[in-house]
Amino acid sequence: MKLAITMTVILVAGLVPLEHWPAQGLLLAITFTGLSLAGVTMRYLLRRLVLFLPLLLVFGLSVPAAGASDLAWSWTISMWLRCTVSFMAGLWLIHVLPFPELLSTLRRWRCPLVLIAMLGFMYRYTFILWDELRRLRNARDARAFGGNSWWRSWSINSQMIGLLLLRAMERAERTHRAMLSRGWDGSIRFLNMDE
Amino acid sequence: MTTIEPLAIELRRLSFQYPNGRRALDEISCTISRGDRIAIVGPSGAGKSTLLMHLNGLLPTTAVGTDEESQVLVHGAGVIRSRLRDVRRQVGFLFQDPDDQLFCPTVREDVAFGPLNLGVDRKEVLARVERGLAAVEMSDCSARNPAELSTGERKRVCLAGVLACEPSILVLDEPTSNLDPRARRQLLSILKAFTGTQIVATHDLDFVLDLCDRVLVLDAGKVQADGKTERILSDPLIMDRHGLEVPWRLRPANR
Repeated sequence: MKLAITMTVILVAGLVPLEHWPAQGLLLAITFTGLSLAGVTMRYLLRRLVLFLPLLLVFGLSVPAAGASDLAWSWTISMWLRCTVSFMAGLWLIHVLPFPELLSTLRRWRCPLVLIAMLGFMYRYTFILWDELRRLRNARDARAFGGNSWWRSWSINSQMIGLLLLRAMERAERTHRAMLSRGWDGSIRFLNMDE
Repeated sequence: MTTIEPLAIELRRLSFQYPNGRRALDEISCTISRGDRIAIVGPSGAGKSTLLMHLNGLLPTTAVGTDEESQVLVHGAGVIRSRLRDVRRQVGFLFQDPDDQLFCPTVREDVAFGPLNLGVDRKEVLARVERGLAAVEMSDCSARNPAELSTGERKRVCLAGVLACEPSILVLDEPTSNLDPRARRQLLSILKAFTGTQIVATHDLDFVLDLCDRVLVLDAGKVQADGKTERILSDPLIMDRHGLEVPWRLRPANR
């Protein structure tokens, strides 16, 4: 149900005609209301938007910069509004729908199994990688003493990212072995909790 | 007609060499009877994990094709390519790091992974998940995200996932690593309740004393000693020579 709502909002946001400002404003208001009903604080929303907006702004400026169309600025602002609406709709969804239920909803909608399996793994391993990163960061901070030049900090951080990648690959191999040990033959199966 | 094979595991001069040429296992021969609880101890790098991975066919990576070439027999049948599925059903493997084995978004789905792969029907899968979680006393955590659990709890969920496959042989790689004393005691009582064959590779010699009646000392890829737990673990010569030490409980002053 909630997934359906989100998808509808995103679809409408994508299809609304270019200069139909009232509709876009309405969509923005709807998603904003939804978010506050879901208990999302302004601070959290702003933090997430800060990650998303710079890229969006750059893309938005590409059309006026190229001087490609008379409606350049309308297009840009419209695009900003619509992408923000979609983004906030996505945020709403992950706040109101627990991830495992999202996966089972996707399964009911006959989404490709491989995609669902990958999402499931991604969910689980984001936590694990986050732990690894925290451990690496603690190890770095314990001996960093603060006085490093930006170049040195940069090279330390890039080494850490490389190490994280290596550890992720090793863990993937070990996980594969664990899956084989429990009889995995390559086909993806799910436990259906309904019925 | 099938006869009940008394030997759970038989190793016939098992040897293994890594791609870089290093000999990990050197002509290991050994038999393990049904219901035995045997510990494999030795210094780091002795080849314990390598040996364990031969027991459910994870090694060699290009699986052996015929019974004649097979150096590992599980319940009398060689661990060969065509039998890997059966072997893995009979031999449950618990890895050292629980995060390597807990890969599903919820505990329940993870424990169900094994039975689902075995082709068991849905009702039976759910029943096995219930039984597995009950055996490790984690029944109230079935809908939780594994990331929220402590290390001891994750280990128990992993064990539930292995027990749900209903193996007759349990292979454990360093089961007590990173466990606090309470979690260790809980694991010990769960394993004592398991009636099948158990093979444990570990550094935790007190755990060995509590659980296993037989000890195999592995060093440099070879079997250095094999016998009753108390006899081997209380022998200072064997212990010192292979990077181990006599457990506190068995030292003459503490008996």
